[in-house]
Amino acid sequence: MRIVLPKGRLFQGSLEILTKAGIGLKSPENRELIVKNGRYELLLARAFDVPVYVEHGIDVGISGSDVVEERESDVFVPLELPFGKCRLSLAMPKESITDVEEMEGFRIATKYTNLTKKFFESKGVEVEIIKLSGAIELAPKVGIADAIVDVVETGNTLRANGLVEAEKIMDVSALLLVNRISQKMKFEEINDLVLRIKKVIREGL
Amino acid sequence: MKKDVFSESERLADITKYLRRTFELWGYKEIFLPTVEEYRESLRKGTKFAYNNSFYVIKPDLTSQILVNLKEPRRLKLFYISEVLNGGVKGKWQAGVEFIGGKDLWMQVEVLMTVITSLEALGIKEFYIDIGSLKVWENAIKGIEEFREEIFRALAKRNFEIIERLPISEEKKEELWRLFNFRGKKSDYEKLNLIVEALGDDRIFIDFGTIRPLPYYSDIIFEIYSPKLGYPLGGGGEYKFNGIDAFGFAFDLNVLSKLYSGKIEKNRKTIRGELKEVYKLAKELVNLGIPVEVKE
Repeated sequence: MRIVLPKGRLFQGSLEILTKAGIGLKSPENRELIVKNGRYELLLARAFDVPVYVEHGIDVGISGSDVVEERESDVFVPLELPFGKCRLSLAMPKESITDVEEMEGFRIATKYTNLTKKFFESKGVEVEIIKLSGAIELAPKVGIADAIVDVVETGNTLRANGLVEAEKIMDVSALLLVNRISQKMKFEEINDLVLRIKKVIREGL
Repeated sequence: MKKDVFSESERLADITKYLRRTFELWGYKEIFLPTVEEYRESLRKGTKFAYNNSFYVIKPDLTSQILVNLKEPRRLKLFYISEVLNGGVKGKWQAGVEFIGGKDLWMQVEVLMTVITSLEALGIKEFYIDIGSLKVWENAIKGIEEFREEIFRALAKRNFEIIERLPISEEKKEELWRLFNFRGKKSDYEKLNLIVEALGDDRIFIDFGTIRPLPYYSDIIFEIYSPKLGYPLGGGGEYKFNGIDAFGFAFDLNVLSKLYSGKIEKNRKTIRGELKEVYKLAKELVNLGIPVEVKE
């Protein structure tokens, strides 16, 4: 079975829950992207790409719900995992807080162009979206955007950059993803894995 | 290397040649539908545009387009090979059949046989078909209809936690859990058993976890997949049109193209010769139905 995990924020939590569920995966050394361990093969990908790997044939993956929604990936999501909790929020400089309804024509910097577009469309407000790949907080600081949409965990990064959270767009959590065809081809094996992880969650991570 | 439209087209031409032949062998007639259709709410997918103060749709979903063009329900066996757009400018090529007004069971077995023989004609033997039922789920949620939406969302995502959180009895949850994980050759639903038996193919399974969330399906639904690919080759299901039964499916041609290894054309006759003579011979061969290639 091939399992793809996200590098970064969710990696440790993912490894821990899988280990407790009896899938002892070694942490990769020396920038390896694939580690084999018996029946399991661990792949490491960018957090933003995990749902894409699962959609295209990797059996199982762990990824944030923000990314799954943003990518609109056609994957099964059998479990919500008890880590990686944060929220996707709209944030803006504290000296220029504006109501969402008043943001017509504003420039919004984000990694989440799809979700941002949907959020503003649902409010009937047209904005210009600027796609960035990271360090989004920088954009309002240097004046290339009026606000940002990004994940907020503690709010420290926002505060440090003079931004405030104006509105929550969605709650985010880590999710277990399963490829649609793997679910059929490896029915028993995947069901067993899901039940074992579920047991770990129930008994407390 | 980026694939160009010509090499991709060559593969698709090859694939559709075998599909057309198989669909025709089963008695389906090709339907040629307009690229642009006047907008109607029942048209699914396609890309909308406005022209001269009217709304139109380019390349909508074929099943919905066939149905808006069919005024009176009658027995029809159709197939199509077409591009389908989904709101944007890039489309997906599909090939599918619709059997309208046939007899329950006979129609379903025939369409599924068409799927099997089409794939075999392409030399694709390693595939599976999972058949599910919407009625089984509708029956299972009798009395708890207020949670219908959540239950179907749970099925589409294969997330049983959604059902576990519902304020319904433990016995009900247990019953839904069993259905959720049912996969086999024989179920409590006789209609499905009869279909599977009539097909008599090891590659067919009953799987109640198979759900295709399209608004028009009424009961039997199925999904075709291969262990070699992470996404389905196609799928279909049962629907009703003005009170009469219909059953159809579509293949995703881009996905089939990934599995198709390309048959070697053995019987094409290569001929050479003087211009007039060689084409005289070529004409005779073509008239006899023999594939020919004239080499300069």
